[in-house]
Formats: sequence, C-alpha cells, structure tokens
Amino acid sequence: MGKIIFKFSLALILLIITFIYAMTSGISDISVLTMLKSLFSKVDEHTYTIINQIRFPRVFLAIVAGAGLSASGCVFQGILRNPLADPFTLGISGGAAFGASVGFVLGIATVSWIFLPIFAFVGAMMSICLVYTLNVKKKFDSNSMILSGVVASYIFSSAVMLIFAILSSDQLYSAFMWLMGNLSSFDERLLPLVTAVIIIGIIILCFFGNVINVITLGQEKASSLGVNTTKTVKYIFLLSSLITALIVSCCGVIGFVGLMIPHITRKFVGNDHRVLIPMSIFVGAIFLPLCDTLSRVLFAPIEIPIGVITSIIGGLFFIILILKPSGKITL
Amino acid sequence: MIKIDKLSCGYTNHEVIKNISLQIIKGSFVGIIGKNGTGKTTLLKSLVGLLKPFSGNIFIDDIDIYKIKKAVLAKKIAFMPQTMQFDFPFSVKDFIMFGRYPYMNMFKLASTEDFNIVKEVMEFTNVTQFCDRNINELSGGEKQKVLMAQTLSQKTDIIALDEPTSHLDIGSQASIFKILRMLNEKYNKTIITTIHDLNLAGEFCSHLILLDNGTVFNSGTSQEVLNYQDIEKVYDTTVVVKTNPISQKPVVIPVYTNRKQIS
Repeated sequence: MGKIIFKFSLALILLIITFIYAMTSGISDISVLTMLKSLFSKVDEHTYTIINQIRFPRVFLAIVAGAGLSASGCVFQGILRNPLADPFTLGISGGAAFGASVGFVLGIATVSWIFLPIFAFVGAMMSICLVYTLNVKKKFDSNSMILSGVVASYIFSSAVMLIFAILSSDQLYSAFMWLMGNLSSFDERLLPLVTAVIIIGIIILCFFGNVINVITLGQEKASSLGVNTTKTVKYIFLLSSLITALIVSCCGVIGFVGLMIPHITRKFVGNDHRVLIPMSIFVGAIFLPLCDTLSRVLFAPIEIPIGVITSIIGGLFFIILILKPSGKITL
Repeated sequence: MIKIDKLSCGYTNHEVIKNISLQIIKGSFVGIIGKNGTGKTTLLKSLVGLLKPFSGNIFIDDIDIYKIKKAVLAKKIAFMPQTMQFDFPFSVKDFIMFGRYPYMNMFKLASTEDFNIVKEVMEFTNVTQFCDRNINELSGGEKQKVLMAQTLSQKTDIIALDEPTSHLDIGSQASIFKILRMLNEKYNKTIITTIHDLNLAGEFCSHLILLDNGTVFNSGTSQEVLNYQDIEKVYDTTVVVKTNPISQKPVVIPVYTNRKQIS
C-alpha cells in the first residue's frame, strides 16, 4: 500500500513538473515565476495573452485529453479482454474523421469555430450507435464488439477517402492536419464543458477497477461471481466512448496514447485495474502535454503533428521497456 | 439441498437437457458422467445460474435460483469453468482475490478478512509457495490449483466444477480430487463436478449421475452406476469392470474387440 502511495505521489510531482515545463517553453521564453504570477493575476497584456489565453487552455486540454485517452484505452483493453484494444478500436476515430470531413466538404468547418467539433462529435456518436446496435443482441460479447468496431472503422474510413477525393487541395490540407491530431486549432470556449465531462467521466471509470478485474476472467466466471457482464460492459463502453468522442472532436485523432500508455503503466504497477486505471490517467496526463510541448519547440516555429511525436517517443520508450531484462511482466 | 424440477434447457433452438428431475443432498460429492455432448456441462451451467432454463426450476434450499439476484447466488454457489483465458498476467495472489468479489462492492477495497481468507485457501490448496508468480508462467496443474483456490475463496457451501482435471497428469488429478474430498468431508461442502474419467469419478465421488442424451440414465453410488451393461450401452463401447483391490470401488477398463457390441 505504501508503495502505491509513493508511486502516485511521484506521478503527481511529475505531472506538476510537466505542467510547468509545458507552460514556460515555447517561442517566447517565460520564466516560471512570471508564468505563475500571470496565471493568478494580470501581469502585462503580452504575457497574459500567451500564458492565459494560448498556453494554458492548450496545456490543460493536453493533460485532460491524455488522461481521458489512456483511461479509456485501459478500460477498453479490460472489458474487451484484448491487449491490442485502444479507444479507437470500436471505430470512434473513423466516425469522428467522417464527421469532420463532411464539415470540411460542406465548407462549414471554416464558417464558425463551433462547427468542426460538433460535426466530429456527431460522426463519433454515429459510430458508437452503430457498434451499440450491432451488439445489443450479441450481449456485448468482446469478439463481436471488436468485429463490429473494425467494420465501423472500415466503413467510415472509406467514406473519408471518398470525401477526400472531392476536397480541394486547401481543404484537403486542413482536413489532413486535423486528422493527424492537433491541439492548437482548439477553441478555448469549449474547454470548460469538454474538460468537465471528461474529468467526471474518468473519475467514474476509476471506480470500475474492481468489476473490470472480474470481467477479465471471462463472461462465465464473472457471471458466477455475481457480475452482470452484459450490462456492465455496456455502461463502461458507453462512458469511455463518450470520453473518447469528446477528445477526438476537440483534438483530432491522437493515436498511440490510448494503446500504449496502459501497457507502459502496467510495467510499473501491474495489472490490478483498481490501481492501473488511475495510474494510467496520471501517465497519460504527463505524456500528452510533454509530447505537445515537444511538437511546438523541436522544429520551432514549425509545429509537427502531435500524433507523430506520441508514436515516435512512446514507441521508442516502449521498446526500451520490452528489452529491459528485469522487466518481469511481459505482454 | 438442491432440487432440480422438470428442467429443460439448452441453447437457442437446441434443447440439450430434457425434462430432468433430481435432488442433490447437502454434503454429497456428485459426479456427472456421460458421453461428449450429452449435456453434462449444460446441466452444470444451468445449475449455477449461467443458463436460464426453457422450462422447469432449480431450487437451492427451496429458493428458486433464477429468481434471486446474481450477487446473492454468488454467495451460495461457486463455479469453476473448464477453461479460463488468462488475458492479463495477474499475480497468483491478486487472481485468487477476485474470488472475493461477491463480498466487495464496487468501491470497497479488500478487507483484512478478505486477505485472511485468501491466505487460508492458498494454504489449503498448496499454492502459497508460488503466490507471487504470474499466472501465465504456471504449469497446467498449478493453474488448476490456483483456479480452485479462487473458487474456494468465494466461500460458498456448494461448489460446481466443470472438468477440473482434464489435461492433467494422474498425480495432479488425484491432488485436485483430494482437495475436493477434504472440502467435502471436513467442511461438509456439496461438490458437483462433471468428469470424463470414470475411474476418478468412481473412486472419489459419493454419488454418480450418468447422463444419456439429455436425460438421467442412471444415478446412485459408483457401484450401482458403473456396471458394464450400462456403461457399454451409454458409451457404445466394450468395457470390463473390475474392483479396485484397495478402495473396493469399481474400475472401468476399455477393451479392444472386433465383435460389434456385447449385450
């Protein structure tokens, strides 16, 4: 127990350091002290704009999105009993991409800031509804869920290809950049609503640790332990899908985080979902703002898509973890 | 006492168990035997609340098990499936703790009592020495013992097992059945198990139920059920039934013969 508390304290400290690093680095260097001052009281117009209006929403969103993606990835791997599952396994990203592409092709995406996230969210909801309907009769069996998710992904990504074929090259570029995941195009007016829902959602997910542990034992065993698997899997699926849909509609498709963060976290805290879910949330909340900051500063002033950074850094880190001989727990 | 009353059950459009009525007395050690596909597992699943009957009822101490909450039933009867996937590399200790789930709610962490019970069942099933290992690294026999420990930690009066000893060597088979026998004799637990090995069944079970084509062909003590006429009829093969010189229980030996069927 003491060990777990120590690990969580360490994670919290790392999260704070990451936050400070992300807030202070960028094209204009701002000292830690000025940054903190500006957050709580107005220093000068220039610093205020950079810190409070540009950097804070972005870093905060990165923290919440990282936390949400890794929490839903972790939960999906548990309820689908599949280590290869991630938040997008069930076709949510495909649906969101489809919705966003429709927004671009109609030209609505550029009319007002609110339309793109709404279109993406509606698209994501469409794929969630599709997977849900396909699984009501199948009692949310893990194989049929994965299969219907893959089907949904294929249908929507073909639709996206179709739309791409008719987009003008300007539209195509902005659609493509959106698809790769982007934290900068986000409008901070959405921030309170989106982050509140995601934070409440991931807190609820943390309470499902015990029941997810039992669900990983398989439908029969879980059922004989008194768990109504169909109902539980349904609720967890809907909740984590909602979290994912919100993130995708704000930041685009940020790959890798939901798949790998839970695995990386497993190496440190084991497989007990009661600890694994909250710890994944922390690790995700550290990882994504870190990657986002790197995407801003590495080739400044050019910003590279965050998805590229997450995959490269996370992938390399994961390879190191696998190769480390003392790594007791293997996949 | 378990009372099965005119039970018919099976899977969509396919009735497997056909109108079975039987009673299992508290504290008995019942073996369900019969050919592949004859409905042993189906009957067992129905008995533990996993397969809703088409018609008929199952009562445990006069309570209809399909009319109570699953969480309540989980404190009355524990079920050990034949195969289990180990998708996540849990430690043996953590894995056994999952058996305590019916006694925890969604938010509660394991209590001292839960830890004590896990410790107790680990000692009982002899798994304490590898309790920190990863379940995926265990041998078949060790895995089965861990599964058994998990089932026992559920602390129910009735324990139902589906083929607990398939794929195990003769020593591991015996050690699993010795544990079951001890639970039965020392703690008066009711044990119900499906089993293919007729000799193990005859040696360890106090009561056998021989199923044939979804109905009860014969039931009683091993001496009553394991006679060559019935076995040859149900299993459609020639056998010799001898008596074990030490336990005096029947032993069934398959015989190769060119003749069609000896009747």
